Amino acid sequence: MTLPPLPKKPFNPTPVWVALVAALFYVVAVELDVGFGELAWGARDMVEFMSRFSSPDFSDIGRYARLMGETLAIGLWGTALAVVIGMLAAPFAARNLSPSPVVYRVTREVLNLVRAMPDLLLALIFVAAIGLGPLPGVLALGLHTGAFLGKFYAECLERVDRGTYEAVRASGANFLQVTVWAGWPSILQELVSYAIYVLDRNVRMAVVLGLVGAGGVGIALTTTLRLFEYNRASALILVVLATILAIDYLSAWLRAKVR
Amino acid sequence: MAGTVAMWPTRSGWPPAGALAAGAAILALLAVAAPAAEFDPVRVIDSLGAMADFAGHLLVAPDWSYLPDLATKMLETLAMAFLATVIAAVLSLPLGILAARNATPHVAISHLTRQLLSVMRALPELMWALVFVSAVGLGPLPGVMALAFVATGFLGKFFAETIEAVDTGPVEGVAAHGAGWLQVRRYAILPQVAPDFIGIVLYILDHNLRAATVLGLVGAGGIGYDMVMSMRLFQYDRIGLIALAIYVAVTVLDRASDQLRRRVI
Repeated sequence: MTLPPLPKKPFNPTPVWVALVAALFYVVAVELDVGFGELAWGARDMVEFMSRFSSPDFSDIGRYARLMGETLAIGLWGTALAVVIGMLAAPFAARNLSPSPVVYRVTREVLNLVRAMPDLLLALIFVAAIGLGPLPGVLALGLHTGAFLGKFYAECLERVDRGTYEAVRASGANFLQVTVWAGWPSILQELVSYAIYVLDRNVRMAVVLGLVGAGGVGIALTTTLRLFEYNRASALILVVLATILAIDYLSAWLRAKVR
Repeated sequence: MAGTVAMWPTRSGWPPAGALAAGAAILALLAVAAPAAEFDPVRVIDSLGAMADFAGHLLVAPDWSYLPDLATKMLETLAMAFLATVIAAVLSLPLGILAARNATPHVAISHLTRQLLSVMRALPELMWALVFVSAVGLGPLPGVMALAFVATGFLGKFFAETIEAVDTGPVEGVAAHGAGWLQVRRYAILPQVAPDFIGIVLYILDHNLRAATVLGLVGAGGIGYDMVMSMRLFQYDRIGLIALAIYVAVTVLDRASDQLRRRVI
């Protein structure tokens, strides 16, 4: 008795994809002149370099704490601004609330454009326009994450049950009244939980805003590294790391509580 | 607060006490933070004029001769994001398995890996780029290292979460055949998480491109360097072009990865 031949094995495309990505990786790495080989050779130098960070110097801790406080303030105000911008923009960018399809499209595109701009680019522009200090940082964070929240809140508003809007509209409410009495209250939970998420992100970004002169702890970090004061830099990094991890836990706790 | 929100309206008609207290606390916190953030409504409104002035500067004929240079720099930015994403994907595969509670060899290792991953993703890429530039010098290499470092932190965590959501049936089935530790992970867990994993990697690629655009600020390669220099040298005819290029690149990749993700998942 002969068995029927086995069916043909289906073609497995995974190795092809892996090989393609690997080849592309190689080509790009060579083209970019990124010397990963050198890096492996320099592993010992790397260990030596990292050892320079090993004894953090906390003598200037008061100043670091003040700068970190400023960073937190920038993140907080940036988030407050973002929530206001997001709440105001969202009703126009929600398909089922927007006064007209044209307004809907235009608002969406504007939000996309602002969201695509990195907040550091915005900070650079604001620093050039209104001068150094925390305020340009606040505005940059607020605008960038405001556009982000605007899109998210709009999507939440689109998911709300139609009946909620219709009930309020049926009582003769205009666009503003529908937004205030049906739109925002329906998404209160998402509103708060996304705001906390954005606060978390904004504090992280506020850490590096100082690099372009927009206040906070970033400027101290650049200076210490430029002056090769690795022990101060490592103390600074530890302060930042501790604060951010603390906020991480706090925001996770708050979000769980809201939900 | 979940309960309090649901208990609206209250008997008095006011929002519940918990929500009022939270609102008051947030306002108080903002008031305390206002001087440190230099947030002063008068100054904000004043600065609107300065911003309008500045926006006027941007309305100049773009410097078209800069286009070839811009294309090279944008390609470098894209290349950095790609390299970092591939490295992070490869590194986070084992880290994700170690961090997932149902795939780790020991619970303690899972906890340890999770802590490591959360430290890796705690600080923004730019900060690590600053450190790596002072370690290995200027150029795209420190940029790629910084991007890959942070992305590994994110990918490892997401990957561990996907593994933990895996269906236990196939895992038990493969294990019942006498498969070893690695074989269970390779033939029962990996095929289940592969589509999700590809989706997450695409998301990280997107994130890395956005992050890569600013790394040049600290000399870690990409378009960021040109961005700062044209700002410092008041070359307004270039800034508009750079902003537009970033917008186009980010949007195109965003749409493309959306399409790809929909096809995979």
